[in-house]
Amino acid sequence: MDGAENSALPARKGGQARSLVTYLQLFESLGLLVLLAIVILMASAVTQGFFTYTNLTNTIINAAIVAVTGFGMTFAIASGGFDLSVGSVQAFTAIVAAALLQVAGIPTAILGALLAGVLCGSLNGLLVTRLRMPPFVATFGMMSVVRGLSLLVTSGQSVMITGRPGYALINNGKVFSLPVPLFIVLLVFAVLHLLLRHTPFGRHACAIGGNRKAAVASGIRIERTTILVFALVGLTTAVSGVMLSAQLLIVDGTLGTGFELQTIAIAVLGGTSLAGGGGNLFGTLLAALLLATISSALNILKVAAFYQYLYLGVLLVAALYLDTLRRDLIAESILRRR
Amino acid sequence: MTNEGRGQESIAGWVRGPGRRLVDFALRYYIQVLLATAVLVLSAVDPQFRTFSNYENILLQSSFPGIGAAGMTLLISAGAFDLSVAGVLGLCGILLAMLSSAGLGAVAPLVVMAIGAGLGLLNGLVVTRMKIPAFIATLGMMNAYLGLAFIVTKGQVLPISSEFLMGLGTQALFGLVPVPFLIMVALYVGCGAVLLRTLFGRQLRAIGSSPLAALTAGVPVNRVKVLCFVIVGACTALAGVLLTGELSSANAIMASGYELSAIAIVVVGGTSLKGGSGTLLGSFTGALFFSVINNALNMFGVGAYWQYVASGLLLISAVGVQAVHSLVRGEERASAQEA
Repeated sequence: MDGAENSALPARKGGQARSLVTYLQLFESLGLLVLLAIVILMASAVTQGFFTYTNLTNTIINAAIVAVTGFGMTFAIASGGFDLSVGSVQAFTAIVAAALLQVAGIPTAILGALLAGVLCGSLNGLLVTRLRMPPFVATFGMMSVVRGLSLLVTSGQSVMITGRPGYALINNGKVFSLPVPLFIVLLVFAVLHLLLRHTPFGRHACAIGGNRKAAVASGIRIERTTILVFALVGLTTAVSGVMLSAQLLIVDGTLGTGFELQTIAIAVLGGTSLAGGGGNLFGTLLAALLLATISSALNILKVAAFYQYLYLGVLLVAALYLDTLRRDLIAESILRRR
Repeated sequence: MTNEGRGQESIAGWVRGPGRRLVDFALRYYIQVLLATAVLVLSAVDPQFRTFSNYENILLQSSFPGIGAAGMTLLISAGAFDLSVAGVLGLCGILLAMLSSAGLGAVAPLVVMAIGAGLGLLNGLVVTRMKIPAFIATLGMMNAYLGLAFIVTKGQVLPISSEFLMGLGTQALFGLVPVPFLIMVALYVGCGAVLLRTLFGRQLRAIGSSPLAALTAGVPVNRVKVLCFVIVGACTALAGVLLTGELSSANAIMASGYELSAIAIVVVGGTSLKGGSGTLLGSFTGALFFSVINNALNMFGVGAYWQYVASGLLLISAVGVQAVHSLVRGEERASAQEA
């Protein structure tokens, strides 16, 4: 965990603060692990059939679908922005994949969906950089536009994916009796971790999120990096759109409502600060697992889906409050050092 | 940066003398010009559009999002947003239906508005005390409110039977001006007076343009912000009361997408998202404009899905127009320094 390296803290005086951040990130990841363990223990104690192979596999698949876009969102938050349009884009890419499957092969369908995702993401990026819109407004507007388009191209109907056993393998295929989505999410994690920590692109994205003026002054190409970050969010959303369509095998324009909330929640819960400047991808993965475990336990307990709205909202606010407390702690330690 | 600099020169070079003033006028009052053009063109081409009942319908449909947008204008002027309004509206509509069936009658709307103000207070406290950015805190709160509304109703539609409440949503003065529209006009006059003529209005604009400067000048930043959220909550609850009256029923998702409509109306009306100033005349015109557009879309039979696209595109292009406007007015340099 060398996340402090990417954070917005002053380099010279940040010695103590840096170690504090490192400890905090470690503690958060550990804390999430402990929380996850508690939730799993509780779930297995109060429910029948939590520890069945089918249920665990389903939980992992659901976590994977959210986590993949959560990684992209983590990137966007690290660069000081975020994307509210992911729910609509997920629906749109799932529809593109399903529609292409009716006329073309599986690789074409997947490529088409990924391309559509990248296009939507780049458009977000262009709106933010060229028209200098706040990411909140640009992606909020796009959320509505893409949702409308998804409903329009399907005329509000469902699109079935039939006669494609190969496509369903993206969801229910097994390698060494582990589900394929697990490998997809680990692959995306590895790629994005490399991008964030070990490439100029990742460092630039964090620099922009940490201190925009300093990033401009040090000659980072803000516009290009920002567009790329949004394109990356679009790409990861398209991956989750493909995974979702393979899971459901029937898609419509209303898919992915509230997805932006889930992805932002897992990123923040995982320890990525909304202030920007650094991202904790591993935390995002753990938080996605935690959310999926809670949902699965609630489903087994037959708690009405309505309660999940409530708990997700409260969880998001609680995670954000923790983020505030952490920022205060860091600011305090820097002040004390001075 | 260089591209935009060139853009400024070319626009300044292109418009000179009285032409410049004309462009400035068109940009400043573009929403009023747009509304007038849209109404004139639609009235000219479509005989169905130019009927009294249709005009009445446009006024009625503009008032539900318009009432929420009045409070939102104040909040955006103070530099914050509220994305939870759809949840607040749904919850308030449901509470109204429950209170009215409990026999509370004419007092029910007031109680519901007080509850709406309370939900706004909760939003404000979450934003100021927990120091969470407004848009994301209210996104979380929206889910919480929606969840509560679902839990209370078990996902059912609650009907109302009170003649008074239904009249509130459906009656019209002289058979032409709907009651909700009259309430909306009164609300906009009130909010305009608050924004421009009171200490509170000055303070909230000061916070919107620079929270730090406002704090240094001794403005009680948190208290003013919380009060703005309370106003949004009360306005949204009022819209919920009227909408429930019009539909003669309430359910949790009766207002899905309401946050987009309200914010789009404010932004299309010309209130800057950067905060610091707000135009209630603009928001008022914006509400009518959206109502006209939706009415026309329905009339041409393109259906509800296009309304999503239209709202989103209008929101995006309105922010684009604001960028052009600030270019023309030479504010470009200041914002470039800031960025």
